[in-house]
Order: sequence, then structure tokens, then C-alpha cells
Amino acid sequence: MENGVDDQQVTNQDGSTDDSGSPDVGSLSPSLRGRELWRSLEDLAQTDEFQEFTAREFQEGAQNLEGDDRRHFMKIMGASFALAGLGSVACRRLPETHISPFAQRPADRTPGVPVEYATCCEIGGVGIPVLAKSFDGRPINIRGNLKHPESLTEACGAMANSTVLSLYDPDRLRKITNKGEASDWNTFSNWLGERCTAESDGAGLAILTGATSGPSMDRMRERMKARFPKATWTQWEAVNDDNSIAATKAIFGAPMVVRPDLSKAEVIVSLDSDFLCTAPNAENMSFQWAELRRLSGKASEATLSRVYQFEAMLSVTGIAADERIPVRSSDVPSVAALLLKRLGGGNLDTDKIEKQLAASTNRSITDKDGKAVTLTDFDMLEKAASDLDEYRGRCVVLAGESQPPAVHAAAALMNARLGNVGKTVSYSPVEPRPSRVESLTALKKALDSGAVKTLLIFDANPAYDAPADLDFAQSMSKAQEVAYIGTHANETSTAGNVVWSVPGTHYLESWGDARAYDGTISIVQPLIYPLVDSSQGGRSALQILAQMTGEEKLDGLSIVRETAANRHGSDQYAFERRWRVVLSQGFEKDTQTPMQNATANETAVMNLMKTALRESGAAGEIELVIYQDGRVYDGRFTNNGWMQELPDPVSKLTWDNALYMGPELAEAKGVQNGDVVSVRAGNASVDAPVMVIPGWAAGSCALALGYGRNAVAGRIADGAGVNVYPLRTTGSMDLVKKVSIEPKNETYPLAHTQDHGVYGALDKKLVEDGIQERLPSIVREGSLEMYREDPAFNGGLAHIAHSLSLWEEGNLAGAKFRWAMSVDLSTCTGCSACVTACQSENNIPIVGKDQVLRGREMHWLRIDRYFKGGTAARPENIVAQPVTCQQCENAPCEQVCPVAATVHDKDGLNVMVYNRCIGTRYCSNNCPYKVRRFNWFDYQRRDPVREQEGVFAVQSDYYTSDGPSEWRRMQFNPDVTVRSRGVMEKCSFCTQRITAARIEYKNKWAQAGGDKTSPTWHIPDGAIKPACQEACSTGAIVFGDLNDPNSAVSKLHADKRSYDLLGELNTKPRLKYLTRITNPSADRNVFIKGGHGHGDHGHGHGHGHGHDDHDHGHDGHDHDHDHDHDHDHDHDHAALRSIGSRKEAQS
Amino acid sequence: MSRFLFPKWSNGILPLIALTGAVLPIYVLYFVAYGFSPKTLEVGYQPVQPVPYSHALHVGELGIDCRYCHNTVEEAAHAAVPPTQTCMNCHALIKPESPKLEPVQASSQSGLPIDWIRVHHVADYAYFNHAAHVNRGVGCVSCHGRIDEMEVVYQAKPMSMGWCLDCHRNPEPNLRPVSEITNMSWGKVVGAEAEAEIQEQRLQVLNQYHISPSENCSTCHR
Repeated sequence: MENGVDDQQVTNQDGSTDDSGSPDVGSLSPSLRGRELWRSLEDLAQTDEFQEFTAREFQEGAQNLEGDDRRHFMKIMGASFALAGLGSVACRRLPETHISPFAQRPADRTPGVPVEYATCCEIGGVGIPVLAKSFDGRPINIRGNLKHPESLTEACGAMANSTVLSLYDPDRLRKITNKGEASDWNTFSNWLGERCTAESDGAGLAILTGATSGPSMDRMRERMKARFPKATWTQWEAVNDDNSIAATKAIFGAPMVVRPDLSKAEVIVSLDSDFLCTAPNAENMSFQWAELRRLSGKASEATLSRVYQFEAMLSVTGIAADERIPVRSSDVPSVAALLLKRLGGGNLDTDKIEKQLAASTNRSITDKDGKAVTLTDFDMLEKAASDLDEYRGRCVVLAGESQPPAVHAAAALMNARLGNVGKTVSYSPVEPRPSRVESLTALKKALDSGAVKTLLIFDANPAYDAPADLDFAQSMSKAQEVAYIGTHANETSTAGNVVWSVPGTHYLESWGDARAYDGTISIVQPLIYPLVDSSQGGRSALQILAQMTGEEKLDGLSIVRETAANRHGSDQYAFERRWRVVLSQGFEKDTQTPMQNATANETAVMNLMKTALRESGAAGEIELVIYQDGRVYDGRFTNNGWMQELPDPVSKLTWDNALYMGPELAEAKGVQNGDVVSVRAGNASVDAPVMVIPGWAAGSCALALGYGRNAVAGRIADGAGVNVYPLRTTGSMDLVKKVSIEPKNETYPLAHTQDHGVYGALDKKLVEDGIQERLPSIVREGSLEMYREDPAFNGGLAHIAHSLSLWEEGNLAGAKFRWAMSVDLSTCTGCSACVTACQSENNIPIVGKDQVLRGREMHWLRIDRYFKGGTAARPENIVAQPVTCQQCENAPCEQVCPVAATVHDKDGLNVMVYNRCIGTRYCSNNCPYKVRRFNWFDYQRRDPVREQEGVFAVQSDYYTSDGPSEWRRMQFNPDVTVRSRGVMEKCSFCTQRITAARIEYKNKWAQAGGDKTSPTWHIPDGAIKPACQEACSTGAIVFGDLNDPNSAVSKLHADKRSYDLLGELNTKPRLKYLTRITNPSADRNVFIKGGHGHGDHGHGHGHGHGHDDHDHGHDGHDHDHDHDHDHDHDHDHAALRSIGSRKEAQS
Repeated sequence: MSRFLFPKWSNGILPLIALTGAVLPIYVLYFVAYGFSPKTLEVGYQPVQPVPYSHALHVGELGIDCRYCHNTVEEAAHAAVPPTQTCMNCHALIKPESPKLEPVQASSQSGLPIDWIRVHHVADYAYFNHAAHVNRGVGCVSCHGRIDEMEVVYQAKPMSMGWCLDCHRNPEPNLRPVSEITNMSWGKVVGAEAEAEIQEQRLQVLNQYHISPSENCSTCHR
């Protein structure tokens, strides 16, 4: 076998040389040279481990019981089986169950019918307007509130989606403690009263909260100021907007929030901004971005926006970008300076970056004459600048929040010069306030001076997430008494001198308000009583503050109502009416902060730039980027199992963070995935495992915030990842400019899923020769130019020659519905919000790191990520492809199930009947898409974090002890069966939602008289949205009925970009993909060799022309490709043949 | 010392063993199939409820419509057990002192629910929706039996998958005009002409609502 691997590498090397000219791979070893499509470095190198993944249904060991093999299991279970036979004789009726109706049923409440309430989830001081679904009083699901002016989509992001799990977290703080001893609310309340006596002026009292945006909190702050003038109030957020606020303050004279409108931005230049995933308003930005990424209308006139992404890390935005230029984070200010210079001068020294970019190969392409052309990063920057210039008023420059103020200032100035202000970008003013770091530093000084006697901390965790140089834990110990009020115990609540630890409330349990990103006042409405007993706390921060300031009514509703009433003057009647609307819709209309067209002060910008350029990192230094990864945030979701198990959109890592770096750096340090290194900055150092990510900027590495919590944070958080906060100081909040990396002689297992579910064949030889060649047809991709020339260039709708079946195919004719789905790879960013939404809707268990390592993760929906072409260090393109059950009409799984547990229903869905399934796993073995998941254990009753002892260990303090298990169970969606051990499961297209809609519309029709009113009934298009579609902010996922020719999905299936995944297997999937079309500014090498063989004969125009092509229409259509249309049915085979022939030619 | 000889009658043992060997498996199979079927295990289940509420009195004699108490049946999957308030609508005035009503009075005052014991049990992996059936002419009596004659409610039908499918395969005998949905005695007529009339009405419902019940697994299992 080793020979085979070697051969493969040789071929690759030849392949890339032959295909893409001579890429300058510098010091790279041959093993890192590019192949056409690869999922991971293991794939690229075709390691034995990767081969194993492709060849097997599950990875090695997945089907073994831990510690005991099957034979041993039969041996030890022999007696039990015999006893089981005896036991079943004593068969009884099911245990007695009860029905407990309300004594008085609330009006409009129908037991068993879910109701949605509008509420608001505040993360880091930004309210995310959501609808929470309540089933018989239990919130079970979260989605975006589309009625809210800030919500453009029903998506709310993975983090907001997962908050419902945090509500039921069994590890929540449940008991009030005083110096570790059990206590009760009254004692705490008295203690608080003593500190807030009538005589007190607040001297010695300090309050620390997270960022809050709500007017009620503002009112409390006012009240505190009036009542206790000497008390201090600090807001601290580890992930904050200090940089952009500082920049706007400096250049506009007042702090502003940048409000881009990407739906009008045809060219987007992003300076390290991950606006599609981790930005606070990423859902809306994604929606707007996607509006200019859909291809509709006449293909020859199709347009797309173009995104240039300059970034160090590989981000979700980087994956979605048309041109990605990896630069170190510390070089981004220089890039900004260079762009600024191109767009109207400015006396900035940019020689260094110019040289650096010019020396860096972006990609090598073969032009029409077959000549190799090398494009440098500098060429790309030039193209970005000329595109911006060309699209004045229709473009935008975005700065990433982690970039220093200078970059934000430069972006603002560029937008001003380009005439974008008021068109693609506006500004809205915010209350001037000290930066988060300044506030916390001030509090630290007060603590150190001994001025603070009593410190109240509400749901903040400074002992963990404060900048390391503040040494906040140490300062905290100088306060006489510290009280912590929050939902979870954390590093702060367990610090030495914390007197009180009081259980707080989750937003789904308490009243409140918050401002959305656009400033709209949104109401936080509880759906459930606090789960914590009222004698143990269970009061919100608002309630406690109201009590301290002597407010009369202490219930949350009264406090929030009063705030609202104060805004409305004295007309009580008008307020009552309005209040009801506000509550039902979740927001108060017309409360957005007004947009302004601020003008940047050029001198201020230049001053900021000059300072930044002086401080930019020296060449050759290794920088460490510190960022939030959109899953655990600053650490507040670390104990959330959904967020831990959600594969990182980029690295596909679960349950950990790792030191991400590019292949060059890894090679230079002699490390590979899982090797532990010591990252040192100054005196601080952190030991972290390495994970190598292709495309990462050389000389840059990154660690995500929020991991490495101590055991008190909860059982899920315990042991997950490493803590990067020790390296984060007030001067290096987002970037440590110089770190040293020392390999240690240790390894650490990383549970990443990037090679799980790889397509393969049983024969390894086939894996090498077959799958590689099929991949271009699995992940179809091309440029706008190719699409304009021929929208069917992907061969999508082509007939597949061998569509003869071995058996009689099921007859699906005459069905009332033909449910189907379409996934647009052009607008899919791979952000993974759909994965969490699916997990929440379908009761998908959390399996734990140990199980993910064995390839047993249960997500019904996975997002494959492919690198395309180029080298390991510099892949040319990256594509994300969500793969779930394709609902094949001719489903291979059904043919092999011995008990008919997976069968077709009349509407064409491949259904899974759990109660029939006996767990043979034949179906999974026969599924070419590898989308079936097997319950190896009773995961819903198994502790996801601990190694299980013994074969049948399901004893778990996480789920089965009395209290917590009840909590966890409350989240389950009662419309979906909770699967037990030994059962196969997979995506059902959310069949429960289909059935619900079917019953709803059919009942309406029947109640109106059935046939007497209308001959038949139907479900309107768009009435059914599976959880994934709902969670997709870009609208990439569309579900509907193919029998309705006007449905969105019918039209998309008929689109020329539409194609079947592995269609050559004659599975006839109901899920079709739309070929990804990007809009690169210069051509890429084309790997789809099907159809007109673009790569073979090149195209007539385009190379080096960049944007000009957009205008010159199609008069120059002199291709002789018309005759190729006759051979449409050969596309897929042509794809195979052409690559095959190329190989033959080489050998 | 004579040798032991099997007595003559023992010759019959062998055929007897053979016969038992042939019959026993059939017997066991029948025993298991019958003994474990919902018909045996479920039908007739009649738990003692916390309140001795008589459907025979309220429905049979007083003629209260099913939907007065189970009012969600036309809109929701559940035909909800009524809140205590529904009882109190009448019993605040009628026999408020009755000792039988003590738990109801207690619940009404405390606001805590009455813990009724579930009679009809559908497995967790099966989904049933009342509204989908009653809106299309499947009467209460088809699944719940003559509730109007039950002093204490018991399970009248097996509620097994086979039993569900009997009707899904041939729904006509269980259809009735939607207006007669709660009428427990509808369709009980004598005489060929009256029966034909009933038959005609059933057929009409079938056509009016395009009734062709689904036999898809996904209809009930998801």
C-alpha cells in the first residue's frame, strides 16, 4: 500500500506542474503540493488514516465496543439473554401514567400546540431578536424574529439558537451559598439591604456587569447614580467593539456604529472582517451579501458581487470570498494604507508591504496560449483598488473588529472617498462611554486602592476573561466582600473572597429589554418561571438592582413596563394599547438609532495610520491572533454541548480549540496536527495542540477565546481546549505581535470531523483513481465568466448514461407532493448555523469528544469543506457543501434493509421507522453519501463528557440523577422521537413539520366544507421550512414541492446550475445542488473538465481582463462550443475521461 | 433376576412425544401471539380515577357534547382533558357539597391539577392527531367505544398498529357526517333501507373530503 501512496504523490506533483504552470511553492515539501480537490492535509497527502476513512462506513474501531469486542460481549451476555427470555414472561401493561390538566387553562392556550413568543437574546450588549417556541410551557426552540426591523431573516445564528440548551443546563448554579455554606434568598436580601441603607451614599460599592443595552438597565444605572452617587458601575466584555468605537471617536469626533448595507455593495473589500459569521450582525450581513450572489435572469447578463478578503486566519468569510489574500493580521494596517494610497494618495510609507505582496504568489494560471502566468498578491490588491475605483458608490470597505482603530479609520476614509457613505455604508451614533478595557482598568485601580468594599458582579467572569496584565483575580481579593449573581458558577464566583454566589436567571426566564444592532428597543419576555427555586435566588439583575435602589415593584414585568411607560408620557390608555403590540411583536417600532452620514477627518485618519504603520510587526515575526470563534464566544457558551460538538466551520474541530497555523509555519516548527507546542509571549506561555489549516497566512497562528475553563464551569466545559487569556493583555487584546513557538514532546488527541463522511469505494485502488476523478463532479464550481458563456457548463442537467436499474424502482407517480430541497453552493458560506438548528429541532444527542474521535458524531447534517487546487499553503479556492440525506428516489439504503425499517413514503421521502430498526447498519454501509447515523449508545442518557466504564455504562450524573435529567429532558421536541441505542437515524427533511402543515391546511379546507368549497387542498409554497432552511441566513437552502411548477424549489431544480450529487449512481436524489459560481477578478484554473472542456481549450476571452469582461456582453461569442450541446449527456463521463486522458498523457 | 422391561403401555409415549412436539410450538406461538397482543393486554384497562366521574351520566343521560369538555379536539392533536374550571362551570352550583367532588373543589381552590390516570396510551414513537380525524368524519365512538355507556372509562379498542391500519385501509365503515362526530349512536339503525341510507352518507363523506388515508410510515412514525 505504501507504494500506492508514493505513486499518488508523484502523480500529484506531475499533475500540478502540468496543470497550473510552475507554482512557486518555495520551501514546501513535495507532499504539500496541490491536488485538485482535497478535504484536508491528510487527504492531500493521502495518508493511510485518510484512506481508511474513505474505504469504510465508519472509521476503524467505531463498531467495536469500548474495551470489549463483540465476541466477548456475547460471552458475558449469554446468561443475561437467557434471563431476559424469562423476564419477558412476566409481561405487564405499561406503567401507569397521569394526565394533569390545568386547574384553570390560560386563555388561547391549547395543550400540545406550540406557541411562539417574541423575545430577545442579548449577547455582548447586542440584542438578537428571536422567537422562542414554547411547547406546553417549555421553551424548546429559538429562531429569528422576522417582524423585527433588524431581522432580515429567520436565522438568528448558532449561538442564539443554542441558548435554549443553556437554559436547561444541568450544571447551572442552583443553590445560593454564603462563603460556601448553604444559605437562602432572604439572608442575601438582608445582607444586600445592609449595604444599601438609606444613609449610604454608595461609597465603597462597585457593580460589574456585562455590556447591557436595554433601557431598563439604563434606568437602573440612573437610579443608582441618584441614590448612591459614589458607587461605581463597570461594564466589561472580553469580546468588545473598543477598536471601532475608538476609531470613530477619533475621526468623526463622536463614537459611531458602522452600518453597512451589503445589498448594494457590488464590490466588498474586507480588511480582516468576518462579516459573514462572527460579526455581531452577521446574519443580516450574510442575507444582504447573498442578495447579490444569487444568479437569476438571463445567464449571459448575470452579475455577482465580488468580495476581496484580506485576512490572516481562514474565516467563513474567507471561504465565501471571491479573492482571498492571506496576510498577517499585523500587516493588515499596511494593506489598508496601500489601498488608501491607491484611492487618492496620502503620505504613507508602504514600500515594505508592496515588496512583500509582490513577492507572494497568489496563484499561477495558464492563459489561453498555454503560457503560465503568475499572479502575485500585489496584483490582487491592485485589482481590488481598481474595482473599488470602478464601482464608486456601489462598493464598500469593511474593517474587522479585531483590527486596530487605524484600519477602521482607513476604511471609513476610503468609503468617504469612494462616495459610499449614505449608499453602502452609514453610521449611527452611540452614547459616548469609556472603552471596556478602560472601564475595567479603572475598576481594578479602585480595587487596588482599597476604595471598593463591596463588589457586586452580575453574570460577568473577569477572573477568567480580564486581560492578563490586569490580574483581576488578585485585585478582586482586595475588596472586602464580593457577591456574584449569575446563571453558572465560574472562575469568578469561586474566587477566594466571594462571599455570595447567587443563582441568576436566563433570558428565557426573566423580563428585560435590550437594543438590537440597529438600536431598536426589544423586549426580553420570559417563557418559563425561573428553574431555580425562589428561595435560592432566581432573580434577574434588573430585579436585584431595583431592590437596591428602593423601587416599589420588584417583579421584572413592572420594571420593564415602567421603563416603557416613562418613554410614553402620560397617556396611560395609549400606552396600554401600544404595550400589548410591543409585547406580541417583541420590539418597539421606530426606536432605531438614526443613521448619519459622518465625514472622516483626514488628518486624524492619517495620524492613526502613521502610528499603526510604525507599530506594525517586523517581517519574519510570528504573530498570535486571539479571536472568538462564533461558538463558545468569550467562554459563556463553553458549557453548551451543542456549541462544543458543532464542528468549527473552518477547521472542523470539535470539543477543543487548537493553535491554528498554516503548513509553512508547521513545517518550519516541525509540528503536525495534535503536537503540543508552547506559545510564549513575554513571560506568559500557553501549551496548545497544533492544528494545521491550509491557506493560513504564513507567520500567523491563532487561538480561540473561551476554552480552557476550570472544572467549576461545568462538566461539558471541563477539559475542553486551552485558555488563551493568559496571553491577552490590555495592549494585545486581539493580536500578540510576537510569540515564540516551542514544540513540546507531547501529543493531544483532536476530535475533528473533516475527514468523516468522505466519499469512497471499497477498493483502495479505486479510491485513488476513482474518487479523485469524481470529486470535481461532487463539488461543482466555476467562475461567473464560465456561467455567462454557458450556464450549463457544469453538466448539471445532463443525462447520465447508465440509468438502468438492477431492480424495479419504486413507483412514485401520482403523489400529491414531491418534497425536494435545493442547496445553493454559491450562497452557502459554511457557517454551520443549520447544524445546530437541526440538532435542536430533531433531538440529536451530544455524544462527547471520545465518541467524535471514533467517528460516531450524530449530526444529521454535516458541512463538507473542500480545498480546490493550489498548494497546501495556498489553496486556490475553498468550497463548503452541506450534505444531509439526499432523499434518493431510488435509495440504496432501502434495498438492503432486512426489516423494511427504511422505506419510501408516497411523497417521495425516504423515511426511517425507528421502532422497526434492528440496527444491522446495512443501510449505512450502502449509503454512498454517508449521511446515516447510528446510535451506538443510549446517547440521550449517557454522559457526553466522561469516558464510560464498562460495556453498558449509561449511568451518568449528567442525565439520570433526579433534578438535572428533568431539566435536560425539558428541551426535547415532543414531535420527534427520542432515539435509543441500536437505532439508525438520519435527516427526515423535518417530516414532523411537513405533517403539521399537511394537517393544518387539510383541516382548514375540511372545516370550510371540503370539496364543496374547493376541489382540493394545497399547501402554499414556503409554508414548510425545515429547521436548516430557517437557520440559513443567506437562503441557500430551499425546500418545497416539485409538483408545483411555480414553487421556488421547482425553479431551482430546473436551473441549469442544478446537479445531483453522485448522480451517476442512479440514486435520483431529491436534494439538488446549485453549482457554486464565484466572481474572481482574474481567472482561476478550471478543474471541471466536463462539457466544453474549458480547461482544455481555455476560453476565448477573460484572462487578465478582470472586470472589463462584465461590460462587453456576448458579441464576442466565437466559441465553437455549440456542437458540444449535442453531447450534453456525456458531461459527467467527459469529466472523468478528460482527466483520465490527461493522466494517461502524463504517464 | 429378571431384566427390566418397559411395560406395554409405554409404547404410546413415543407418538405422544411426537404429537406434543408438533402441537406445542403451535400452542406456544398462539399463546404468545394472543397473550401479548394489545387485544389481551390493553382492551378493558379500567383504572380507578381520582374523581368518580361518570361519562354514562354526563354524556349518556345529560347529553353533554364531548366537545364541551374536550374542546381542543377539532384544532389540536390532543383532545385535552378539561381544566378543573370546566367542572366548576356547573358544579359551583350543582351539588357543590358532594363528597365525590372533593378533589375537584380542592383543585379549584389550590390551582393544582387533578391527576387523572391515562387510559388510552399511544406509544412514544407513534404520532396521533385528533383534529385530522374528527374534521374528516371519524367519530369519537370509532376509537373510544360507547363512552356514553361507561360508568368508568375503559379502553374499548386495542389501539394497535394493525387496528389503526384496518381503518386506514378501509375507512368507509368508520365515516359519518362531520356534524354527527360526537353522536355515539349514529348509524345504529334497523332495516335494509335505513342501512343503505347510512351507507350512502358514509360514501358521501368519503368523496367530499377525498378520504384516502395514508399508509406511509412517516404519517405516524417520525
